[in-house]
Amino acid sequence: MGYVNRRNRTIAGVFLLPTVAVLFLTTIYPMLYALYLSFRNYDLAKPFIPRIFVGLANFQEVLTSGPFMHSMWITFKLMAVTLTFQFVIGVGLALLVTQRLPGMAAIRTLLLIPMMISPVIVGLVWLFIYFPELGYLNYFIGLIGINPIPWITSTQWALTAIAIADIWQWTPFVMMGTAAALQSLSPEPYEAALIDGNSRIDVFLYVTLPQLKPVLISLLFLRAIDAFKIYDIIFVLTKGGPGDATETIALYIYRQSFTFWRMGVGAAASFVSLIIISVLITLFFKSMQKSAVAR
Amino acid sequence: MNKISTRQATFVYIVTGIILIIFMIPIYLILASSLKPSADMFSRPPTVFFTPTLQHYVDLFTLRPFHQNILNSLIVTLGSTAFSVTVGSLGAFALSRIRHPRINDAAFWILSMRMFPPIAVVVPYYIIFKSVGLLDTPLALIIVYSTANIPLTVWLMKGFFDEVPEALEEAAQVDGYGIVEIFYRITLPLAAPGLAVCAVFCFIFSWNEFLFALMLTGSSAQTATVAVMSFWSSDAVQWGRIMAGSFIILIPGVIFVLTCQKWLVKGLTLGSVK
Amino acid sequence: MASVSLTNVVKAFGAFKVVHGVDLDITDGEFVVLLGPSGCGKTTTLRMVAGLEDVSGGEICIAGEVINDRPPKDRKIAMVFQNYALYPHMTVRQNMEFALKPQKLSKAEVDAKIAGVAGMLGLDALLQRKPAQLSGGQRQRVAMARAMVRTPEVFLFDEPLSNLDAKLRTQVRMEIAKLHKQLGTTVIYVTHDQVEAMTLADKIVIMKDGYIEQIGSPEEVFAHPKNLFVATFIGSPSMNLFRMTVERGDKGPVLSSAAFTIAAPVDKSGKLTPGQAVTLGIRPSDVRLARAGEPGAIEARVEVVEYLGVEALVDLRVGTQEFIAQIPAGERPAPDETVKVVFNQAGLHLFDSESGQAL
Repeated sequence: MGYVNRRNRTIAGVFLLPTVAVLFLTTIYPMLYALYLSFRNYDLAKPFIPRIFVGLANFQEVLTSGPFMHSMWITFKLMAVTLTFQFVIGVGLALLVTQRLPGMAAIRTLLLIPMMISPVIVGLVWLFIYFPELGYLNYFIGLIGINPIPWITSTQWALTAIAIADIWQWTPFVMMGTAAALQSLSPEPYEAALIDGNSRIDVFLYVTLPQLKPVLISLLFLRAIDAFKIYDIIFVLTKGGPGDATETIALYIYRQSFTFWRMGVGAAASFVSLIIISVLITLFFKSMQKSAVAR
Repeated sequence: MNKISTRQATFVYIVTGIILIIFMIPIYLILASSLKPSADMFSRPPTVFFTPTLQHYVDLFTLRPFHQNILNSLIVTLGSTAFSVTVGSLGAFALSRIRHPRINDAAFWILSMRMFPPIAVVVPYYIIFKSVGLLDTPLALIIVYSTANIPLTVWLMKGFFDEVPEALEEAAQVDGYGIVEIFYRITLPLAAPGLAVCAVFCFIFSWNEFLFALMLTGSSAQTATVAVMSFWSSDAVQWGRIMAGSFIILIPGVIFVLTCQKWLVKGLTLGSVK
Repeated sequence: MASVSLTNVVKAFGAFKVVHGVDLDITDGEFVVLLGPSGCGKTTTLRMVAGLEDVSGGEICIAGEVINDRPPKDRKIAMVFQNYALYPHMTVRQNMEFALKPQKLSKAEVDAKIAGVAGMLGLDALLQRKPAQLSGGQRQRVAMARAMVRTPEVFLFDEPLSNLDAKLRTQVRMEIAKLHKQLGTTVIYVTHDQVEAMTLADKIVIMKDGYIEQIGSPEEVFAHPKNLFVATFIGSPSMNLFRMTVERGDKGPVLSSAAFTIAAPVDKSGKLTPGQAVTLGIRPSDVRLARAGEPGAIEARVEVVEYLGVEALVDLRVGTQEFIAQIPAGERPAPDETVKVVFNQAGLHLFDSESGQAL
């Protein structure tokens, strides 16, 4: 074996091993443990009861009973709504803040703040805004003659309330990514279109948008992966309620595991969600490699 | 982008101005409410001009052990950041330098570890930490946060290491240095800005985290985010105190946005936007 | 100082071979240039000598010892890299100190070595600067200084001048030649620039597609190219080539094409058989205008004339065949004129058209 090969092995051993070892112990092992639990009847509240092997019963319950499917539906509904608004507002905002006008850079910076705030703080401040009887939002819509809305206490509005908070926090992310991409575009096609006399809308649709597409797709998957995991804001605002109106997959797993202490069912649901998110992650990587090739 | 007329500029300013105000309201509310006397908290119409009071901040540290929570947060955050940046930059160097056709797959695999939903592994963590006696200790959170921070560090640092010319390492090799020495004498110093960026991202993530901190800590290792949440109880909600705590927690993130904006894109989009 | 020898050295990436069994002997103190177009395997060969690439087959010896599996540091070599590879976070002095540190010398020895080399290369005033504060030429000099302080047995240069502008390149080239004369260390130097090769080398190794095409002194490879590749690669402007057929003539074999017929060189006539396809090569400098009534002159039409001061390059055409003549500027004809030219007998090169090998 040659010297360079030996050197490569040294690199792999000395440098890569710690990462792989730590990730195995802290990620792969817990996931395998979750898989183990998902085949057992494990009640954390009664630790002395043996953890009986129950086969696929937990998976059967998760996949055939209503509550999990309901939580999937809620998760995807929330994802669809928040992503739509985040991308429409975010891309529009990006087009505005990338105009070469004094002060725009400062405005862009300020707009980035929400996404750096802890989600639990986001939940709390929106709870303050929505708060029954006292919240400012109802006071202000009252000024323009709208009756108070039971934002977080009614099954009809709770999901909307959560969506608004999430849109507030993550629209800046879409704006930031799009603005960065817009600024990296070459000015020449614009100048060409300008000379050709195309309208602004045509320029956006036929020159800008196609060039932004790979970036937008990557951002979309990143947001989708995050939206799938949404937990903190809901935990603060509604804890999944009222009833199960805002019970996303993460909240379902939480309730099964820590409210009903049915760790096996929670683990089975976790596993199903891992599979779904793996698909999203794979799609994200594919889109990233594709845009890397295109570049 | 192309030039625009004064009329169009006015339009741009008005629209962005309105959106900016809407987006800033919640942040203003946090600050304002943390300084408002409790009596004015929900007064109608809302008081814009009020005598600010630091009472809520004082309460945080006298009636509640919030300094202890912040200390816990700092221990966990700094511990995880130091550990993740150390382990992660080693791994990133390997991925950047090993020539292998599947090395990108390995990098993606490591990054994907960060993207799995935390809720899916919180149960195993709970059981494992309980059985080894780590529940409600900062060490438990340091370990858990590192599972998200190491993949991010590996991914970002790989990009920084890729930009350090390999010829420098070859020159040092010819000069008689071993690979470990080359790493910390040549490559790492040249990628130092990247290291700082990774450290900041690890810091913010760990500082802001809530779910694991809620599940895996009790009274003794409780972090600031969990403490603020615990001020909320439906019978006697101490909004002033919640907002004061929230404001303290959001400070590092705001400082980050204001100082390292250009790294934000790279870090948050995992390099998918250049 | 040391000799270097490569015996049947092979480099393969999987099934893909980039260096095919290279044999090369370099004697102590020799200046050897590996010359060839990009992708010919010259840099890979150099990197194998340096220990930066593993040797897939064969043996590399330095000073008689097989060093195939030794790390670079145990090969008593120093290398100057194409982009200089200066450590950007260190000053010029620190760069040199860093290169010396593994040798565990005393502070006084280190200072003496640095002072000596800095003096030789005129770097005294730059020792406290960082690479970013230096010009391209200065960086190049620091790269050489860093290699020289280590007093290696063999110097390796990987295209060291390719990042300099033309004027600086000539200057540094001369400096390298001077340093080699002064130090007498064995040098292996990789370049794609034939001028560098011709001016610096004791021995030129011409490579193509991972094979050695010819090894020889600059005079040898210029005057006696072993094959068509070497013939056209060395020399500027490039050698003129004519596809000819051997025919029987009154006074021995002649070479003929649709455009013209000339007598075959006398010393080669024994190797020619009628009907054989050969390629005739003649350097532009061996084409001259014919004197009035000179026998064997070829009539050609002038297409373009490039005036270069002392000389002129004349593009000529006979039938469909174009070729170049390099003649004194004073004799240059006007475009569209018809002139008569002759080929210097001593400058005629003959190659087998099929194998490309010199006859």
